[in-house]
Amino acid sequence: MALVTLRDVDFAYDERPVLRRISFDLQAGDFVGIVGPNGSGKSTLIDLIDGLLRPAAGEVLVNGISTQKYRRRDMAREVALVPQHFDLDFDLAVREVVEMGSYCRGKDAAARSDPDQTLARLGVAELADRRFTELSGGERQLVVLAQALMQQAQLLLLDEPASALDVSHQLRLFDLLQRLNRDGVTVLCILHDLNLAIHYFEKLLVLSDGEVAAYGPPDEVLRPAIVEAVYGVRAYLHKHAGRTYLTFSPRLRGERLGRVHLVCGGGTGAGLMRELVDAGYDVSAGVLNALDTDEETGSELGLSMAVEAPFTPVGDEAHAQNLELMRTADVVMVTAVPVSHGNARNIGAVLEAVAAGTPVWAVRGLLDADFIGLTDELEPAGVEFFADDAGMFAALGERSSGRRGVHKSGAGPSGPPALKT
Amino acid sequence: MTRLARTSAWPGIGLAGGLLVVCLVLSLVLGPASLSLSQLWHFVTTGPVPGNLENAIFWQIRMPRVLLACLVGAELAVAGVILQDLFLNPLTDPYVTGVSSGAALGATIGIVLHWSGLPWTTMLALVGGLATLGIVWMAARRRGRIDIFVLLLAGVTISYLASAMVTVLMIQGNQDMRAIVYWLMGSFSGRGWGEVQIALVAVPFMILPLFFSREMDILLQGEKRALELGVEVERTKRLLLVTAGVLTAIAVSVCGIIGFVGLVVPHIVRLLVGPGHRSLLPVSLLVGASLLGIADLLSRTVIAPNEIPVGVVTTFVGAPLFVYLLRRGRKG
Repeated sequence: MALVTLRDVDFAYDERPVLRRISFDLQAGDFVGIVGPNGSGKSTLIDLIDGLLRPAAGEVLVNGISTQKYRRRDMAREVALVPQHFDLDFDLAVREVVEMGSYCRGKDAAARSDPDQTLARLGVAELADRRFTELSGGERQLVVLAQALMQQAQLLLLDEPASALDVSHQLRLFDLLQRLNRDGVTVLCILHDLNLAIHYFEKLLVLSDGEVAAYGPPDEVLRPAIVEAVYGVRAYLHKHAGRTYLTFSPRLRGERLGRVHLVCGGGTGAGLMRELVDAGYDVSAGVLNALDTDEETGSELGLSMAVEAPFTPVGDEAHAQNLELMRTADVVMVTAVPVSHGNARNIGAVLEAVAAGTPVWAVRGLLDADFIGLTDELEPAGVEFFADDAGMFAALGERSSGRRGVHKSGAGPSGPPALKT
Repeated sequence: MTRLARTSAWPGIGLAGGLLVVCLVLSLVLGPASLSLSQLWHFVTTGPVPGNLENAIFWQIRMPRVLLACLVGAELAVAGVILQDLFLNPLTDPYVTGVSSGAALGATIGIVLHWSGLPWTTMLALVGGLATLGIVWMAARRRGRIDIFVLLLAGVTISYLASAMVTVLMIQGNQDMRAIVYWLMGSFSGRGWGEVQIALVAVPFMILPLFFSREMDILLQGEKRALELGVEVERTKRLLLVTAGVLTAIAVSVCGIIGFVGLVVPHIVRLLVGPGHRSLLPVSLLVGASLLGIADLLSRTVIAPNEIPVGVVTTFVGAPLFVYLLRRGRKG
C-alpha cells in the first residue's frame, strides 16, 4: 500500500481552481522533489496531503485512510510539515520551540524525542539555549525542521526549505534530508532550484498550472522540452564533471527575432552563440568539427549545425549542408576563427552567401587568424567588418529593431523591421 | 532583564503567591480604621462575631471588598493573557471582544430603571456581557470556523454600538448620570459578599486554561502551524474564547470597567517569566490579583475618607508603566 495516494484530486480556493485531476502515489521510503512555477499549486498540494485542506473532488489517502478522517494529533504523528514561512514574535528559547513538535506524542516522556538530541542531529546543538527571535533565517529554518522531526512522523513534507539559505546551508540541508531518508523517513520537498532537484532527488513531480506535468526520475522529467513547456523559458542541458546541469534563457518560446548563421570554431563562437540564443535569435553554425568547443556548445544549445568528423577537412556533404543553412539565414556572422586548409571551404561558402545577397558580417580579428591568405577577398566582396563580437552583436540589435533596416530581400533603410519568427 | 523560572514554573508561582499574600495582608490591615497584625489574626481566627462593630467592619466590609478586588484582578489578567495570545496582538485587552461594553449597557439599563444594587444591575450587566459574546461569536463564525480577525472587528463594532446606546441612556436619564459614570469608571466601593459569590463562579474558568497551556504555547506560532503540529485548533480556540468572555463578563458585572489590569499584567509577567503559558497563566493570575488588591487599597486610603475610583488608580499606575514597557520592548 502506498504511503500517500491522491486520486483525481481537484482543489479550488473559493471559485479559483488551483489543482486539477491530481493523481499520484508516494511509497514509503521515497525521496521526491516537487518543482513547478510560482502559483502552480505546490504548497496547496502539500497542505492537502497534511489534511489541512479538504479536496473539492477526489480523495487524498494517508496510509489508505482519507485525510479528512484523521484527528489532528493522529495526522501529526504520520505527517510532519516544514512550512515556508514561520513567524514567532514571542521570546521563546529554541529548546522550547523545538519541544512543541512533540505535542502529538502526548505527555508520556518515553515516547517523545529529546529536543537537544534532535538539534544535535541537525548539527546545531549550540542553538538550544538561544532565543528563537535572535536567530538568522537559516538557523530558524533548521529549528523549524527540528520541530517537525520531533513529531517522529514517517512522512516529511517541506515547503521550499532552501529558499532562505545560502549555498552552503542549502547543500547541508539536502545532505541532511538524504540522511533522514536513508534512516527511513519519506521525504516530499518543494524546491525551486532545478539543478538541486536533479542532483538530490530520486523522483521529481513537476506541477504546471495545477496539473501534474511529469512524475519520474529527474533525467526523464527535466528534459528541456518539459522545462520549456512548464516554465516558458528555454532550457539547455550541459554535462560537466560527470553531472548534468540545466541552464536557462529568459526568452519565451515563439519569439525568435531572426536567423543568424555563425561561421566559427575552436571556441571563438561559443560566447556569441549563447548571447544570440538568449537574445532570441534562431542560430545555426557550420561547418564545425565534432568535439570542437563551439560544436559542443552548439549542441547543448540545440542549434542546427553542419558538422564534420573530428580533425577532418570539410567534406562535400557538410559543405552542402552549410550552404543550405546560410541560404535561409538573415545574417551570416564570421568570428575570429583561425583559417587553415581544414576549414578553407567555409570561407568559400561565405563568399557564395555574399554573392547571393545575404549580409555577411565579420570581426577584424579574422584577418589576423588567417594562415592561408584567403580572407583578403572578403572585404572587396562586400563583407562588413566590425571591431569585435560586441560590435557585431550591437549592430544586429539595431537591425532587428528596424533602424538599420538591412534585409536580404533588399529592403531599403526605411524598410520594415527584419523580423522573421 | 534576566528571566526567572526558565525551566520550572514553580519558583515563579511561589514568588507571585508570596506577593499575593503580602498584598492581602496589607489590604486587610490598612484602611480608614487600621488594624495591627495581631488584630488581623484575631479577626481571622475568631470569624464573624455578631454585635461587635470592629469585627463587623472587618468581615462585612473590608474582607469581601479585598477578596473581590483580588478575584477581579485575577479574572482580568487571565482573560488578558488568553486574548492577547489568541489574537497574537500585544495591544489586546479583555475589553476588545465588546463584552465589557455589553455589560456596561446592561448595567446602565439597570441604573436608569433604578434596579440598583444586587442582584439586578449586576445581573443585567452579566446578561449584557454574555449576550454580546454570543453576538460577536455568531458574527465571527464562517463555515464552522471562528475567524479571529472578524471576531476582533465585530467586538470593536459592538463596543461602539453599546457605548453609543449607553450615551443615549445617560442623556435620557439625566439624574442618573453620576451613578452611570461611577459605574463605568469601576469601583469596589460598597460591594459585599453577594458580589464575591458571583466572582467566585469565575474560579473554574480561571483554572481551566491552565490545562491548555501547551496548546496555547503552540498557538503562538499561528493557527496553521498549530494544526500542523496536531492541535485541534478550533476546539481549543472556542473553549478559550468562551473562557475569556465569561471571565470578563463576570469581572465587569461586579465592579464596572477597570482598565489596564488585563492589558499590562500579562506584559509584565511575560517579561518576568517568558511567554510560556505554564508559567505565564498562573503567575498572571496571582500578579493580577495582587495588583488590583493594591490598587483598591490605594483608591480607598490615599485621599481617605474619600475614594479615588480604582479604575483611575490602575490607569495612573498602568499608563506610564505600559509606555515604558512598549519602549523597552522596541529596543529589546
